[in-house]
Amino acid sequence: MTDRAAGSVRNIAWASYLRSYGLWVLAAVAIFALPHVFDSRANQSMFGQMGIFVVFALSYNMLLGQSGMLSFGHAVYFGFAGFISVHVMRIIESGFAFPVVLLPLFGAAAGLALGIIFGSFSTRRAGTVFAMISLGIAELVGALAFFIGFFGGEEGISGDRMSGPSLPGLSLGPQIQVYYVIAAWTLVAALLMYAITRTPLGRMANAVRDNPERAEFIGYNTQRVRFRMFALSGMFAGVAGALFAIQFEFLQFNNIGVAASGSVLLMTFIGGVGFFMGPILGAILVTFLELELVNVTQAWLLYFGLFFVLMVMFVPAGLAGLIMRHQPIWRAGILHKLAPAYGLALVPSLIFAVGAIGLIEIIYFTSTRAGLNTVMSVYTITFDAVKPLPWIIAGVVAAGGFVLCRLTFPTVRKVWDEVFLEAMAKLNR
Amino acid sequence: MNPPAAIHPPTAIQLTDVRKSFGRTEIIRGVSLEIRKGERHAIIGPNGGGKSTLFNLISGKFPVSHGTIKLNGEDVTNARPFEINRRGLSRSFQVTNIFPRLNVYENVRCSVLWSLGYKYSFWNDLNRLGDVKERTEEVLEQIGLTARRHIPAAVLSYAEQRALEIGITIAGGADVILFDEPTAGMSRGETEHAVNLIRTLSKDKTLVIVEHDMGVVFDLADRISVLVYGEILTTGAPEEVRANKAVQEAYLGVDA
Ligand SMILES: Nc1ncnc2c1ncn2[C@@H]1O[C@H](COP(=O)(O)OP(=O)(O)OP(=O)(O)O)[C@@H](O)[C@H]1O
Ligand SMILES: [Mg+2]
Repeated sequence: MTDRAAGSVRNIAWASYLRSYGLWVLAAVAIFALPHVFDSRANQSMFGQMGIFVVFALSYNMLLGQSGMLSFGHAVYFGFAGFISVHVMRIIESGFAFPVVLLPLFGAAAGLALGIIFGSFSTRRAGTVFAMISLGIAELVGALAFFIGFFGGEEGISGDRMSGPSLPGLSLGPQIQVYYVIAAWTLVAALLMYAITRTPLGRMANAVRDNPERAEFIGYNTQRVRFRMFALSGMFAGVAGALFAIQFEFLQFNNIGVAASGSVLLMTFIGGVGFFMGPILGAILVTFLELELVNVTQAWLLYFGLFFVLMVMFVPAGLAGLIMRHQPIWRAGILHKLAPAYGLALVPSLIFAVGAIGLIEIIYFTSTRAGLNTVMSVYTITFDAVKPLPWIIAGVVAAGGFVLCRLTFPTVRKVWDEVFLEAMAKLNR
Repeated sequence: MNPPAAIHPPTAIQLTDVRKSFGRTEIIRGVSLEIRKGERHAIIGPNGGGKSTLFNLISGKFPVSHGTIKLNGEDVTNARPFEINRRGLSRSFQVTNIFPRLNVYENVRCSVLWSLGYKYSFWNDLNRLGDVKERTEEVLEQIGLTARRHIPAAVLSYAEQRALEIGITIAGGADVILFDEPTAGMSRGETEHAVNLIRTLSKDKTLVIVEHDMGVVFDLADRISVLVYGEILTTGAPEEVRANKAVQEAYLGVDA
């Protein structure tokens, strides 16, 4: 091969790399710039938390989306690695010369080790058996964490991230430094997880998810495939756990049990399990809602539950699925044709939301503060929450919105289908 | 130099008194059969006779209830499917058995990975494996699905899915191949195409095929075994089987 030919081959390789990794460069820029645009300490802390849960949710999707394993216990690996990291932090405090910024290496090792132990028997089957075993392990570990000294019981354990040797200019004191450490690890972990999707193991995990029987007849032991994905997934959950330890310097039994496991399932599902981007979007959105809704309403958990139910019912492919379905329409350049339909969907949805929010607020208010003060205000309207009228008004608005949704959505769907077909026809031409 | 081999050609598959029961009913009732290396062997017989069950035993899908199975001289009785596959046996399924959410290219690519030694690797970038790419594209060309490579397998037409089924089966380069009714449900033209494909792909390989179309069977097979109610009625060259009275009564008579 001549030099020039070799050069052009290299250029093509570069172009293909840029196409598949170009988005990553963009993400890196955004990750760098964000904490300077929104530069309050609270925002920087929130961005850090988003990074942590992006890694955690991506590791979870190595099981759910890529390998078809529904786990109810993924926080076990996250939490265990987090506790290990806090302990290592304490050892660093008492003289062990190890930089705290490299704690995720310990986290990865801890998550991997525990993943190997629990994965060795739980990955024999996918499906319900696997799901139940994962739930059992989470219950078990969650309960143990309450009693065993290692986990600090009810009080939890804490460490100090500023101890030990630090790299020059990286004391981990200012929140922005913590953020950049988390961001760097997030980027590395996400890149590695993305790369794994494009390896023989990653692809065979998809094959085993789709049709485990056939995979055995082309040479693959399906348990081995699941086991390896499981162990790797535990490893990345461990990285997330260590980052959590660095950010909060504190872990407690509730970081390791079923509830924490449910939360990562929720994020991943809302984001969409069918695309690599899904868990990233889900982790960012859910973390944002969790942190911001608390400031807006005390009934945030109720909204959260409602949001999850609505997503599962109406957008089972998640945010990423929803976005990707618009891709052909966007490429055909006819996205604007959806605007009237979406406008039509928006109005009844808003009416329903207004009614539902009113209702939830009244229910929450009366069920938590009954007997004392009965006067509350919603939408700046002040009223007596034990009188029937506010209930009736909110109920009627919510029900009316719901009925209007039922009436208009078929039309919206019809328009959508037409636009989609038009896009496909355009693209195939 | 090798006179014994000329008299007794080496065997690819050797079944000795193989039996299989589901619950109380014995479906395979003492089958002893020798498939020679390099031959094209057809198994025919009435519906429910146990042909697919026999394939399931040979390929490791079910454990046998009794008897032994040897592949290339090695005992593989009750080995797992992937172990048998790694020893050089591959099979297709009567009911299409593919990876529905993966596209055509990925379906074939998955099937070549083990044979090229990539195993459970999570450090090789798939798109940079030249040997995998080359073999995958070769198979796609052979089964005529190159133009459909980006389509999810689930949305292929029936005939295309059957072609993919064949592709997945042969992609790993196994030297013993079992085809379970590869032409089932195909039109005459499609059948002809599939048979030619099978003939080409099984060159220099051992082929065992279950097939209902007698034209295909007598055209393709070196030897034929007739399996009726879990027993081998007879095994022999096509002319012998055609002339066999018992076969004519039990099977061919009904068909003709
Ligand atoms: N897993 C199973 N459990 C119970 N019975 C089974 C099982 N598999 C097959 N059988 C029974 O074994 C008998 C033989 O079935 P098999 O599928 O092997 O026949 P076949 O010769 O392939 O028939 P066909 O020509 O219709 O494909 C049938 O009566 C079937 O019901
Ligand atoms: Mg059959």
